[in-house]
Amino acid sequence: MTSKPGEPRPQTASHIVELPEAVKNQIAAGEVVERPASVVKELVENALDAGAHEIRIDLEEGGVKLVRVIDDGCGMGPEDLLMAFCPHATSKLREVADLDHIASLGFRGEALASIGSVSRASIVSRTTDEAMGHRIENRGGEIGPVLEAGGARGTTIEIRDLFYNTPARRRFLKRTQTELARVLDVVQRLALAQLEAGFVVTHDGKRVYDVERTMDLAGRVRRTFGADLADSLVAVSGVDGTVRVEGLLAPPRFARRDTSRQMWFLNGRPLRDKVLVRVLKQAFHGFQVEARHPVAFLSLSMDPALVDVNVHPTKSEVRFREDRRLFSFLVAVLRRALSEADLATPGEDLLRTAWRRSEREAPQGYLPNPGALEPLRGGTVDPGSFRAREGTAAASERDLLVPAAGPRAPGVGETSGTFDVAGALGAAGEWGAQDAFEGPYLQIANTYLLRRLPDGFEIIDQHALHERLTFEGLKRQVEEGQVEVQRRLIPDLVELSRAEVKAVEAQLEALSASGIELSVFSPTTIAVQGLPALLRRPDPEAIVRDAVAALERTGKAPRPFELVEEVLHSAACRSSVMAGDPLTQDEIRALLSRASVLESDQTCPHGRPTRVRFRLADLEKAFHRR
Amino acid sequence: MKVLCERERLREGLTVATSVIPLKSTRPAVENVCLVATDHALELVGTDLDVAVRYRIDDVKVEEPGTVLVPARVAADFVRDLTGDTVQLRTKGETFLVESGSDRCELTTVDPDEYPVVARFSEDGSVPVLGSTFTRLVSRTSFAAAREQGRYAMHGILTQVEGDTLKMVATDGRRLAVATSAFEADATGAAPKASRAIVPSKGMQLFCRVIDDPLEQVRIHFGENQFGLKTSKAEVFARLIDGEFPRYTAVIPASTENLVEVETELLIRKLRLVANVTSADTRAVRLSLDKGKMTIFGRSAAMGEATTELDVEFEGKAGDIAFNPDYVIDGLKNCELERVRLEYNEKTSPGKFTLGENYIYIVMPITIDT
Repeated sequence: MTSKPGEPRPQTASHIVELPEAVKNQIAAGEVVERPASVVKELVENALDAGAHEIRIDLEEGGVKLVRVIDDGCGMGPEDLLMAFCPHATSKLREVADLDHIASLGFRGEALASIGSVSRASIVSRTTDEAMGHRIENRGGEIGPVLEAGGARGTTIEIRDLFYNTPARRRFLKRTQTELARVLDVVQRLALAQLEAGFVVTHDGKRVYDVERTMDLAGRVRRTFGADLADSLVAVSGVDGTVRVEGLLAPPRFARRDTSRQMWFLNGRPLRDKVLVRVLKQAFHGFQVEARHPVAFLSLSMDPALVDVNVHPTKSEVRFREDRRLFSFLVAVLRRALSEADLATPGEDLLRTAWRRSEREAPQGYLPNPGALEPLRGGTVDPGSFRAREGTAAASERDLLVPAAGPRAPGVGETSGTFDVAGALGAAGEWGAQDAFEGPYLQIANTYLLRRLPDGFEIIDQHALHERLTFEGLKRQVEEGQVEVQRRLIPDLVELSRAEVKAVEAQLEALSASGIELSVFSPTTIAVQGLPALLRRPDPEAIVRDAVAALERTGKAPRPFELVEEVLHSAACRSSVMAGDPLTQDEIRALLSRASVLESDQTCPHGRPTRVRFRLADLEKAFHRR
Repeated sequence: MKVLCERERLREGLTVATSVIPLKSTRPAVENVCLVATDHALELVGTDLDVAVRYRIDDVKVEEPGTVLVPARVAADFVRDLTGDTVQLRTKGETFLVESGSDRCELTTVDPDEYPVVARFSEDGSVPVLGSTFTRLVSRTSFAAAREQGRYAMHGILTQVEGDTLKMVATDGRRLAVATSAFEADATGAAPKASRAIVPSKGMQLFCRVIDDPLEQVRIHFGENQFGLKTSKAEVFARLIDGEFPRYTAVIPASTENLVEVETELLIRKLRLVANVTSADTRAVRLSLDKGKMTIFGRSAAMGEATTELDVEFEGKAGDIAFNPDYVIDGLKNCELERVRLEYNEKTSPGKFTLGENYIYIVMPITIDT
């Protein structure tokens, strides 16, 4: 208590009063309604809960002046309208137990009351079995009477002059375009979540977004984000008990710096949840650069009892009952889908930069330095030799088109019918095909390998590919418990702190199972006795330091496999064929065919791509032929 | 400066100098070749700041002494493509003229003051060595030197004068090559001073390059921070690697329990045969030894396995030892004996190959946990 006795505050004696209803709602509105986008979200969710199939959203000035949502849902009778603007009045919840199995989008009964208290709102609604509709108004909390009014079946809600009576909030609104973009983001998420409903958005009388009711998810993605993304998506599907996941996944090249194109839907409700961001991160681990977020549109359906949606007022966060199990289930499903994705085709950006570069250089009469592009020993590119080998080339084209149905099984798909199957599967289907690795290869700058494909060419980063190869080989040896250890002539001594040496000492056995043979030389020195033989140019000190870092991070005995992941990941990168090693035709062929038997040879262990593939379509695009 | 010289000698000198001169340097003057004309000789100087060469052309007619810096590669290429027998070099204002018959080239020059100081060979304390002895020791050892980043001290060849022998040692931490050779009697008869230096592999290459007569007595000099070698035509210097060379002597087993003798060529062939299978995802081949017989076995989880047998002389306890076949083959390729000798104690201890007289090669085995 800060007020001193005998020194009453200047106010009246009664300090605590109950706030008027209007003020309460305005305070509550702060939680639910921040900007036009949140108004749209609440209203559209209501429309969807009312069973609407066609939803039209009219906006003016980014929604600040007007948000009008017109639906063809079940509508409300006069009694319902009377209650509509009352706080915690809802048709979706009757008792506490209902909270455990909420299937509707809204349920808290706060939205309309809150919105009505900070705007001039009106509702016109007619139910199917009424001949006449009704209307009710709410002017900043002053709720008017229910009047008869004409109207189509369904509900039309108009919210005008948002925050006209709370200037503080109004000042926080951004420019029209910003607010509009946020509204569109909300609508797009809902449109991708609610595949049964069609949406139309107009702004200042112009149509800015629409999806038809009949469109499927891929169609909606195409309409929303363009054909390039839509055409590259891979289907995801899996069931685990009552949990079901369906949706689409984009190859890593579409990954973004933010998570805005990661859309998860839970029983039709868009949702942003950290667990799900982690799921995608884990699923793409090793397939793309860490700092990027993959693009995915995934819809989860599960028994409402398995999830608590009443965690956050905007309902975008939820709590899963069995999050561990869900996590591993989702990661497994996504990795399966990802392995079918085409990871090789370059993104738009690369094409664009490649094209811009050639545009810049062409006027100067750019000719490649003949030395730099010289074919390798024995690999002279001579048009005659191509012609002479046309027969074999045709055969290898057929091999390349063997569909994914028989992954890497020789001889599958000899019949011509498989062509169509492969075509229908598209780019993703060709992965896993048999490949004879026909030369000739070009080696560029002793770093990149160039190889002709039946429908284009690919550029391979020899270092990245070799890294992957070394890593997979090490992993296999660790799994088999047969790590080859190249013993050191003279043990390499690595200085560490006393605590670090202690930590290493406790884990000597686990380290040795991963092929890292260490011994304690002094209280502050570790001696490296042997390292995995697969590492061609190991750096003992770096490996020991990585191991120490891994031990410190996990704080417990790592399983050999984890240690491989942690330490040998980077060790593999350090030891592999460095960019700059000249390779012969035979060495290149061997490298490519060895890599092809791996589970994944499309990225290095750090997620950098090992190859970039240009198809005829890309070339045509680059050369403006289409 | 104005000099007349034989084209062939000039071409040769420029080739040696440009092999050192870098294409790009943080000190642009170094990208040039420095020509110094004194009374009766023309000297070509090139350096990349780690290695330096002075190449001397004696049979020249110097009309006007002087020093000039010209772009190295253009000068070398132009002289190489000339057809005349003699070449006249002269400065003309800020430019430098190369003329031969009707062929003529005018090159830009750079202020000679910007060129770094390159040392002169000091005869004092230098040691005479037969050219072929030096090059042979280098080729016997250099292949075993480290190439990976870090481990700087192993990027060179340890070069030692001990008593009346010259010794070179190279290692990358997994194998080690040691070769020694006795000095040929010096005219003075005095025993050379014990010296020791780690000479970078790149410098060693250049030393061997300037020794074009195997029977010539060259002189080597251990300086404080550089190693020098002088032939009749050239002086070459390499900055020493400052670091601690591994204490290798403890690794060479003094006595061994197992001894194998086998035909060198046969062993190379058989190792290559089995290594065809292992190169994919493993490194090791296993040598199993028993009375009169060696079995070589290699296995790769991805590819399959291979076995071969060969006749050997074997004394010791029957057992296995595994090596990286590439390392063994590297050494065997340099083997000077028809039959190579392998000695070892157990499968975790070093394998000692005798590849020639005063020439041993140690390879650490690979162990496989099962």
